[in-house]
Order: sequence, then C-alpha cells, then structure tokens
Amino acid sequence: MRLAALLVAIAAFAVFPLLTGSNYFIGVTISGLIYTIAAAALNLVYGYAGLLSFAQLGFWGIGGYAAALTVMRFGGNFWEGLVFAGLVPAAVAILIGLPTLRTKRHAFVIVTLSFALLSALVARDWVSLTNGPLGIPGLPPPTAFGFAFRTPTHFYYITFVYGLLALGFLYLLGGSRIGQIMKAIKQNELLLQSQGVSPLPYKLAAFAVSAAVTGIAGGIFVFYLKIVDPTFLDFYYMQTFLIVVIIGGAGSFWGVVGIGLVMVALPEALRFSGDLRMVIYGAILVVAMLVMPGGVAGWLNDRRIAALRASLK
Amino acid sequence: MTALLEVTGLAKAYRGVHAVDGVDLAIRAGSITGLIGPNGSGKSTMIDCISGFQRPDAGRVRLSGADITGLTPQRIARAGLVRTFQNVRIYDQFSLLENLLVVREPFRQVGWYDALLRSPKYRQASHLAERRARELLDLVGLTRLGEVPATILSYGQKKLLALAAALMSNPKLVVLDEPVAGVNPSRINEVAEILRKVNVTGTTFLIVEHNVDFISALCDQVIVFDQGRKLMEGPPEAVHGDQRVLDAYLGIGEASPVALPGVA
Repeated sequence: MRLAALLVAIAAFAVFPLLTGSNYFIGVTISGLIYTIAAAALNLVYGYAGLLSFAQLGFWGIGGYAAALTVMRFGGNFWEGLVFAGLVPAAVAILIGLPTLRTKRHAFVIVTLSFALLSALVARDWVSLTNGPLGIPGLPPPTAFGFAFRTPTHFYYITFVYGLLALGFLYLLGGSRIGQIMKAIKQNELLLQSQGVSPLPYKLAAFAVSAAVTGIAGGIFVFYLKIVDPTFLDFYYMQTFLIVVIIGGAGSFWGVVGIGLVMVALPEALRFSGDLRMVIYGAILVVAMLVMPGGVAGWLNDRRIAALRASLK
Repeated sequence: MTALLEVTGLAKAYRGVHAVDGVDLAIRAGSITGLIGPNGSGKSTMIDCISGFQRPDAGRVRLSGADITGLTPQRIARAGLVRTFQNVRIYDQFSLLENLLVVREPFRQVGWYDALLRSPKYRQASHLAERRARELLDLVGLTRLGEVPATILSYGQKKLLALAAALMSNPKLVVLDEPVAGVNPSRINEVAEILRKVNVTGTTFLIVEHNVDFISALCDQVIVFDQGRKLMEGPPEAVHGDQRVLDAYLGIGEASPVALPGVA
C-alpha cells in the first residue's frame, strides 16, 4: 500500500513536465525538489542526530560556487562540478565537525552559524576567486553525450534523478542501524556511550553526509539559475530548509519530504492574494507551530501514543 | 579470591572538595556487592569514575586485571563494565525492542557498510540480537510491551528496561545506580529476584542503593561510604549493627559522645 503510494508519487513527478506547458510551474517544482532535498539533509543532522547546524547554508553556497568554478575557471564539466560540489562541503564539514562536535551542542550551533555568515563574506570579498558581488554569470547548460540540458524541463529531470538518488540514500541511511544510532544520540548521548557506542563518528557522518547532499543540491540549482553570486548565501535559504524540517517534524523522513513538497507550492498557491501572500504564509507557519510544536510527524506520533496509553489503561 | 574490579587509591575533587578521597576496594567475581552511604558521601562520584563518566584525579581502576582508568565510557563498556543511571536513562521515542537493539555488543563485528546495506552479516547479527532482546524483556517481565514506545512506561518499568539494556551488553560487571529508588515497594522483591537470577549465570553486580532492606537481602558484601572514604565493609549483618555506620547516617561526628536513645 505504502509502496504503491510511493510509486504513484514518483510516477506523477516523472511525467509532471509533460502535463504542463508552463515553464513557471516547472521552475517552482524544481526549487521545491531542491529545497526538499536540502531540508532532508538538514533533517539527518538536526532531526536525527539533534545537532542544529546553520552550516547548511555555507555548504549550499560552497556547493554552488564549487560547481560554477569547476566549469568556469578550472575547465571541468557540469558533472565534475557536482562531484566537487559534494566533496568540498563534506571535507569542510569534517574540518569544522572534528573540533566542535566533541564539545557542547551550543558551541556547535554557534560555530556553524559563524561559518555560514563567514561563507557569505568570503563569497563577497574574495573577488579574485568568486568575482565578488557581481558573481559568476553565464553558467552554460550541462551536456551529456552531445545532449544539452537547455530548457527548464531538461533541468527538471536532472533535479528529479538527483532527488531520487539523494532521498533514496538518506532514507536507506536513516532507516539503518546507523540512523537509529543518530536518533539515539539526540535522545540520550550518555546512555549510548554506556552501551559501548562512540557518538563522534556518527555525528561526523551525519554532518558530512548532509553537507555533501546539500552542496550538490546547491550545485544543480546554480546551473538552473545560470548564475551564482553572494545572494546565493542569503539566510532566506537556511530559513526555508529549517522551516520545512520543523513543520514536517524533525526526525521524520516522510514528514520532512512530504511537507517540503507541499510547503514550496504553498506560497505559489497563495499568489491570488497578491501582496498579502507572504503574510498569510507567515500566519500559517505560526499557527502550525502553535498547534503542532513537533511538526506534522510529531503531531501524528503524539496521537498514536495517546491512543496507545488509552488502550493500555 | 579473584577480584573482578580492583580500585586503588581513587581520588576525585571538585573545586577542592574531596568527593572521593583515596578509596581502595575490590569486588569479587560473581558477587553482589552493595555500596551504601549518606547523601554526598561520594558513591555517585565513585561509580562515575569507574565507569568513565568522570576522570579520577588519582588512583587506578582495573577490570579483570586490565587497567581501565580514564578510558571513555564506551571503551569501558566494551571492556565489560556497564552502568545504569540514577535518573533513569532510556530512549523515550524508541520501542522497548529498539531500546535494546541500539546496544553495540551484538553488532560489534558489523561494519558501517554492512549496516547500511543490511548485508547477510548484519542480518544474522540483528536476528541474534533480537532473540537476546526478547529473552531479556521476558526476564524483566516486559515482553508484551516490546513494540510499544518506551515513553509510555511507568517509572519502575523504565528502570527495568534500563536494566535489560545494560544486560544486553553481556557485561562482566553491572553497576546499578539506585535500581529500586522510586519503584513501587510491592515490586522491589521482583527486582531482587531478577538480579539473583542474572547473578547465578555469572554476572557480578555493584549496587548503589539507599534501601537497606533491599541491600541486606541481596548482597554478599556491603561497602559503606562516608565523606569520600570507605568507612567499613563486610557482610550485611556486620554492617547493620555497626555503630560507625549509624553515626554516619545520623550525622553524629566521631567526637560526639552522645548516643541516641533507642537507636543502638
């Protein structure tokens, strides 16, 4: 049943561009998929392992710049660019993670926040590498076997395939013993240590994997936009990833993925209201947080537990 | 006599206060040893030091002859010394079975790659681990709640789950920090019965507890702490009637000549 629903959803996303002629809708769906992937990556580190990482924004930006620079400066192609968009953020995550993940969680939050802000400064001020505030425009369409991915529909399929791979991997990882240990770290790290498990490698893995997945998403997105500049490190992106994780339910794979796809469509669905749409969007977020502090998945889980308690009385 | 755990000259101070002040003790393999003493006498610091959650300032801790002083809690757990916590610690969001399956021991041969791809090696370990977990839930009387999230358990049931989780590591020595504090008095005998059953199979216990009846009924040996030092040790009967122990608990200094009427 679940599998059937999943296959139907995947099939729907696979044929979606063929059903609409609107590049606008295709563009919205591309952003939706990209944000959902980045949110699912944040969910691994924050929702599972309980580590609030603002560094995702930095990884997103580094991924974008790494992909763009590989092509525009170092003579590589788009696909090689994506490899670097994954590897560079993962390496940076390990460098930041090794010293900070040993200490208290607050230290980690503050270091990751500083790192995100610093990344934006570097993008703006290291002009010889990043071209400063002007950014790197004119990113060429990716090619494979002589085929050029020019249209939004072409880009949609790159995003779609990456979405399947990235979300599939995160699902496999999150559902494995490794994911269980990450969830155990969030719930009770001292207990986990007393059970013979070292938390550090799992925290590092969560952080590095989320960095790589986010970086590649950023790399794909800049080529869709055809430009990368310092606004790509705007806090707006981090906020979007975080909102999806919190409303979906930190620690729930399906909660985050499901809500990610819905939430990105929401501002568009509210477009009828003109200038008020972001206000309404904000109001919906506030109400959602008041009614469901654990997100949609947390709310469903609370109800399940309440029913269990009642049945055991 | 073979000492499973041997502590020599252990000391730990916090901001100049000597919480544990040069303690020697030895715990015989196969025994159940009680550790009692007034609040603040250093019992908790002692077990934090031997289980790796605090680093001692001085002294040595040996488990089966191997020096485990200052190792991380996870290394000490792998060496066979597992503890429970006074404020019961479990994974609230996991089911009871999931709580037990986090423990490393049954999966010690399973690498990340095996775990990620659920290789035959992983599945075999997982199968055995689940069987062991069900046995342990059966032992502590929580079988029928195996699939239920642990958050709905009562306080006493959580303590039993924490005990089962500790046993999941197949430890040589289990250090229990107040296993029956806050447990419904009618259930305390059940806990004692469970511990005896496990002890018979060769597991050694060190139990910190305020419930003297529980300790007396269960332990072969009792160690009494006062002000960071070992006040005395001996069989429960000997400790029970000892004037120094009464003094320590009633807060009467050695210099005080006053005897409380009706206590001795």
